[in-house]
Amino acid sequence: MRTSLATLFRRTRNASRNPDSLRRPIGLPQALFHFLHPGLWETFFPALGMPVVRSAPTTRATLERAELISETEHCLPVKLLDAHLEDLAGRVDRVFVPRILSLRRGFISCPKLAALPDAVRAQFRGRFEVVTTDMDENRRPLEQTLAELGRALGFAPADSAAAARQALAAAGAPDAPPDGKRFLLLGHPYNLGDAYLTEPIVRKLEELGVAVERLPTGPPRGAPDPLRWDTSAHMLEALRALSSERCAGVIQLTSFNCGCDSMASTYYRETLKAAGIPYMALTLDSHTALAGLDTRLEAFVDSIAGRA
Amino acid sequence: MKPGLAIQPWGNYSLALAASVECLRVEPWTQRSTTPETLRLGVEASPEFACLSFKACTGHFIKAAQEGVRYGVMVNSRGTCRLRYYREIQQKILKERGLDLYVFGLGYDGIKPPLIRHFDPDLLPFLQCCARAQQKTLAVDALEKEAWRVRAVERQPGDATRVLNECLADLDRARTVPEIRACARTFKPRFRNVPLDEARLPLRIGLLGEATLLRDRFLNHNLEEILGGLGAEVRNFFLLGDEMRNIFRIGLFSRNSRWRLKRLARPYLEHLVGGHALDSVAHALRCAQEGYDGIVHVAPAGCMPEVSVRPILRRLSQDLDLPVLECSFDEHASHVGVVTRLEAFVSMLRERQENKTRTRK
Repeated sequence: MRTSLATLFRRTRNASRNPDSLRRPIGLPQALFHFLHPGLWETFFPALGMPVVRSAPTTRATLERAELISETEHCLPVKLLDAHLEDLAGRVDRVFVPRILSLRRGFISCPKLAALPDAVRAQFRGRFEVVTTDMDENRRPLEQTLAELGRALGFAPADSAAAARQALAAAGAPDAPPDGKRFLLLGHPYNLGDAYLTEPIVRKLEELGVAVERLPTGPPRGAPDPLRWDTSAHMLEALRALSSERCAGVIQLTSFNCGCDSMASTYYRETLKAAGIPYMALTLDSHTALAGLDTRLEAFVDSIAGRA
Repeated sequence: MKPGLAIQPWGNYSLALAASVECLRVEPWTQRSTTPETLRLGVEASPEFACLSFKACTGHFIKAAQEGVRYGVMVNSRGTCRLRYYREIQQKILKERGLDLYVFGLGYDGIKPPLIRHFDPDLLPFLQCCARAQQKTLAVDALEKEAWRVRAVERQPGDATRVLNECLADLDRARTVPEIRACARTFKPRFRNVPLDEARLPLRIGLLGEATLLRDRFLNHNLEEILGGLGAEVRNFFLLGDEMRNIFRIGLFSRNSRWRLKRLARPYLEHLVGGHALDSVAHALRCAQEGYDGIVHVAPAGCMPEVSVRPILRRLSQDLDLPVLECSFDEHASHVGVVTRLEAFVSMLRERQENKTRTRK
């Protein structure tokens, strides 16, 4: 009830504004939530008639900037979000940062994502306005979330609903996995999706002549057992479906200080041990040295070749 | 012989927790704080990036199992924080090491928690026990408040801690509810006997953050006593009495009810985060309203909920002109480092206090 009243209030307030101000551009950081629903927000806002300004893709400089401006104890993806937002400051007067509470009914998201819009508001006060919405599949499905966001931004209900449908259709299906025996690259979507973080690893593995598959993005399908964090449960589900005939090994990309992985890795290790699949975890932070990664990947691939 | 039941050390609340399991006909196995040995055991056995609270508690269970304790009990939270998985992962760790200790979850698993189902106490002793535990919790809260106040202005360093320990020993011996109440009534007069330095103007510092670290004197390097010794009257914002009310949804309008805290925190944080992150933000605002001199935010390194509200605390600190010291602890934290930071913080606060009184004149 409270939410609907608030939405109503915001709608009337926004509608009284100049219609041009409704169509002011909105900034979308290419980090964190961008990788949870690839293509969703990039379609949704333009469908409403709001131009989208994206931050530049992650580079070494982004990483270094993130280390300087962000809370020291955050995990890498949240730090990177801050750097991407800083990139947008000055280019737009509002950015979008959702409050992600659950990606699928029955599951919950990492607690760090629940404070995100408030933390961003606190950190970037006066530099841009933060547009946000609660993404909570336990309360309402994604389509409704999008439609309500459209209405809250001052657009007509019919337009909002149409934009929501269009955005959901655009958030595409994952690529088909390669055939034959392969390595699985395991990790949260926001780590796997960032090309700057994964490209060197994929390239190195290809150099070593092994096929790699990235874990496709998506919410978990089954019931939460035992993990309730949605992205972690999705990873565990994927691991349980693996067989040692199809999978040569699993390489997990985890970010330093990732709270979910610190607990969930126990389950990953247990599952893979039972299935007889080799497993290695690579920890990423802003100091990650590529040469070190290369050595570890070579050693891992060599040791598996030796086993066979 | 009664079977042993390991309970996580939780500062002075440990004696209240121990009292709460009496009716189960078990011997509580707990300590007032983590020891270096249990922490070492925990660090060895735990996942590398698990939080300090997890490591300390795991170590406690391992040590208990080595001493022949058969059961343990762990909160089974339904929140978003890592605490939710503690029990299960600790059980796995114990099993891997070939230790025979079963950890009961204390959570919403049917009407009766599994622990109660297993030991099946009679109703009357059970209720009596709950009443005693509750009274002891409230007594500890009242006792600590006195100690914080007196420690900042005591003439002889260590007096307040000595009286606190004497009172705790008496409280531990008290068995029935009237005895506990009578014991609690003696606290204030006993502290009144401590000679005070009336001329000293204590600083007021709020301690907020994660519950285990706020209460475990070994894990937080004895923050309360260090700050007290530096002439600061601390106020630890984790009170188990209030927490219990929130868990059982009693007293919706009481001062520290979740509902009130949510309303208080709304200008800075619009949604529950998990753990005690919202409480930290709300209490920081309350400290500002009540004219505290500073805040120490305590969390295990990498604590998911507390770390995510740190940017908010920083903004709040600027807006309200309230200094916040962020203290993260892990097993590598050095005691000297902690003391130095606290000393620097207190001397900065002292200077601010003096500037303020000077401008007022």
